[in-house]
Amino acid sequence: MSKHNVSRRQFLNYTLTGVGGFMAAGMLMPMVRFAIDPVLSADKGGDYVATKQKVGELTTEPTRVDFSFKQVDGWYESEETNTAWVYKTDDGKIVALSPICKHLGCTVGWNTDKTNPNQFFCPCHYGRYTKDGMNVKGTPPVSPLDVFDTKEKDGILYLGQLKPHGEA
Amino acid sequence: MKWTAKDLDMYMQSKEYVDTVLIPLVPLSFKGQMKQTGSMNEFLTILSLEIEKQMKGRILLLPTFHYLSDEMDKVERLKRWANEVKENDFEHVFFLTSDFGWKKEERELENNLVWIPAIPLEGLEIEQAREMINQQVLQILDIFSYNWKNEKK
Repeated sequence: MSKHNVSRRQFLNYTLTGVGGFMAAGMLMPMVRFAIDPVLSADKGGDYVATKQKVGELTTEPTRVDFSFKQVDGWYESEETNTAWVYKTDDGKIVALSPICKHLGCTVGWNTDKTNPNQFFCPCHYGRYTKDGMNVKGTPPVSPLDVFDTKEKDGILYLGQLKPHGEA
Repeated sequence: MKWTAKDLDMYMQSKEYVDTVLIPLVPLSFKGQMKQTGSMNEFLTILSLEIEKQMKGRILLLPTFHYLSDEMDKVERLKRWANEVKENDFEHVFFLTSDFGWKKEERELENNLVWIPAIPLEGLEIEQAREMINQQVLQILDIFSYNWKNEKK
């Protein structure tokens, strides 16, 4: 008689527990994955989009930089074009401002108002912003222009997420 | 602002800032002019959306005014639209079209007609098309700015 004698009852117990365990794991794994999904995908944030602008060519004067990306809007996927005003500060930092006026969403221009040179100007309701994007008191906008995250790779400017002023 | 629920909500909240309405005019024809009307439709759709994007905060872009190219009472019909708009506190109404027929009616429309020949976009590279549209948009924006400034004085 062998020492490892397994009775029919024991054998069935082991097999059932084993199979049951696999089944439970099979059900729980996807659930756990779903539950922690937001945590896993959060650090993916900040997709950078390549522009055609060479970083070396940037000056302290804001230039218009157009860039396009795919956007899904309801049913349509479209190629959306976006614009940023980009310049270098005196200590070499790159600043990329959104051209969307914080008042009602018109597009602001640089230096387009003859009476207020070197400011961003909104043609709709004559809102103004200083070069660093701060809204000028007494004009309609109540907050500064949004700022893009920027990144340099192989001498090309990349623009990332749009953030409220002061958080980028 | 566009004629969508979301934008109209925004309009309700900031009525006092939006004083201009833009109406694109596009003809329909099933005869020889069919393709041309298609070009106009394409061109004006893109152009008006681009104008709206630049001047979102002051312009309300209405859905396109369509008419058959040989329609008799299109001018009357458009004037009714314009009157309705004026009665609802808009100072400026602009009509945007590529149809030369409206040129003759300019006086009837109180000179608020912006006529711009349609560029056949289907033959162009996307980059070129974008550039050309941008040029047109800038010119039209100048017309708007000019009108707004003169009203201020």
